[in-house]
Formats: sequence, C-alpha cells, structure tokens
Amino acid sequence: MLDAFSRTVVSADAKGAAIGSEDLADLRKYVADANKRIDATLAITQNVSCIAADAVAGMVCENTGLTQPGGHCYPTRRMAACLRDGEIILRYVSYALLAGDPSVLEDRCLNGLKETYLALGVPTSNAIRAVEIMKIATVAIMTETNTGRKMFKGINSGSGAQCKDIAAEAASYFDLVIEALS
Amino acid sequence: MKSAVTTVVSAADAAGRFPSMSDFESVKGSFDRAKARLEAAEKLASCLDKFTNLAVDAVYQNGSYEQANKDKCVRDIHHYLRLINYCLVTGGTGPLDEWGISGMREIIRIQLLPTAAYIEAFIFIRDEIKINDVMSQQAETEFKGLLDYLINALA
Repeated sequence: MLDAFSRTVVSADAKGAAIGSEDLADLRKYVADANKRIDATLAITQNVSCIAADAVAGMVCENTGLTQPGGHCYPTRRMAACLRDGEIILRYVSYALLAGDPSVLEDRCLNGLKETYLALGVPTSNAIRAVEIMKIATVAIMTETNTGRKMFKGINSGSGAQCKDIAAEAASYFDLVIEALS
Repeated sequence: MKSAVTTVVSAADAAGRFPSMSDFESVKGSFDRAKARLEAAEKLASCLDKFTNLAVDAVYQNGSYEQANKDKCVRDIHHYLRLINYCLVTGGTGPLDEWGISGMREIIRIQLLPTAAYIEAFIFIRDEIKINDVMSQQAETEFKGLLDYLINALA
C-alpha cells in the first residue's frame, strides 16, 4: 500500500533519482491541505450509512424489479449484502482519500471485484449506478452543496467550499470503482 | 510501504473500521514533522553529489583502501544517500529497510566487502561536513537520525 509520499518515492526510485524541489512541491501541498483532507474524510465517515442507504434506495427506485420476487435485491438478505458492499466501497474510498493515493482501494477492494460480482450473479450495471449515486452524494456533502443542513462536523470549522479540490480527488476514486466494474 | 498514513490505514482495514478521530490525530502528528524532513530531503537532493565526493575523498585519502574500488564506493554511498532522501520524504525507514538494508548482510558477506569504509564515509558526513550550512537545525536532526540508523545497520 502506498500513500502520496511513498508513491513519489517509488516513481523516483524507478528513475534512480533523488527527490528534489519539483516533486516536493506536490507533497508540500498535501501536507498544507492535511486539515481539509481530514475534513473531507470525516464527511464520508460521519455519513456512511446515509450515503450507502440512499444510493441503494436510489438504485432500487430506478429499477423497481430489483426488490420483486426474482429480482436481484430479493429477499432482504441480498438487499442487506448490497448495503454492506456500499459501505465497504466507501471505507476503501475513505482510506484512499486519507492516503492521497488509490493503491489501497485498487489492491484491497477493486482487484477481482468485477469477477466476484459476475460469479455471484450480481448485475454490475446496477452496482455501477449505486456507486454513481454514492459519488454524487459524497461530493455534495463534502462541498456542502447538498440541500438541507450541513452534514458533517470537521476539525477545521471551515466551509465545505475549501474541500472542493479534495472532493474532486474523492470523485476520481469513485470513478476508479466504476471503471473497475465496467 | 510503511509510513504514518499507511500504518494507520492498515490497522483500520485489519479491524474493518473507518478511520477514527485518533487515526486522524496520528496522521496530523506526522505532518507536523513533515516540514523539517521535506526541507532536509530537498537540500540533501541538491548536495547529494557533493556529500558523496567529500566523504569518499576523505575515506580514500589515508590509503587504507584500494583506489581501484573508489568508483564503486562512490556509487554505493550515492545510492544510500538517495535512500535516505526517500526516507526523509516518507517519514519512515521503509525505503532504507526494503531497498538498502534487507539482504545487505548477505551481499557484504559473499563479496567480502569492507563495510568499515562505508561506515567511515557516513560518520564523516555526520560529523565532519557542516550540514548546518545548507539546512536548518531541525532538518539536520532528521537527516542525522537516518544517518545514525544506517550506520547502526551497517555496523
């Protein structure tokens, strides 16, 4: 597993070069943005159940056959598995966001996920839709552009607008999930 | 590779939980030290060749080692300093451990290399070179800590 720092090290080692000023600029930004990054991660961890439940509910609403007898979310046991997987994906996205690098998400969650779903008969198109909704919800909560109240309490007490860059990074991790399932 | 962040994430993943407030605290704690070590890494990168040449020249000056091996010695010292540069960036000893120290004893034993020369060179860098001229006190402390770690591993 890598983070923003060790990612720089691994790519510098491939070239056999020491890490100089140019490469360090990005890392200094990562350090300077640490509080925003932690706030953005808190936006996920404080709303896990809500994000996952809404996404699965949204997926079912758009495709009501899923919860009917014979549907992929019938009976409740399979619906529960769906909610559980939503939370697992969110957990790995939160790890990747904290580390500033997608390797933990790729190695420990996405590697083999599509094959597993195909083997279990999970329709990946529906799974992708749920991930898309989770992405939209997560970005909205992080940047405080969701309708209604502010949904997380950060350590910065700053506004969600400051998390905009980090939210874009989080969105890119959800895109990786979508790509892995496509 | 081990760093403050990956250690926290691994522990959270092993327990299947989301990163907690105490995880964030420990990540933040490592960032408080990051400024000094990133400075040390930057300055070391710009002085890498200079430090290497000064140290190797000093070691070979007294004639106790074969001059024919000097180039290889330069290469190795340079390599180790580069790994120290990486360690300063990651904030842990991972790069040195994984790419410099693991397996090192076996190689040294088989090739009958004089480790004393390496140790002398690193001690020279630590004690004789005025590191303070190129980097701040805190950065120097971070750099010397890793030099000590490497010297102990070689000894």
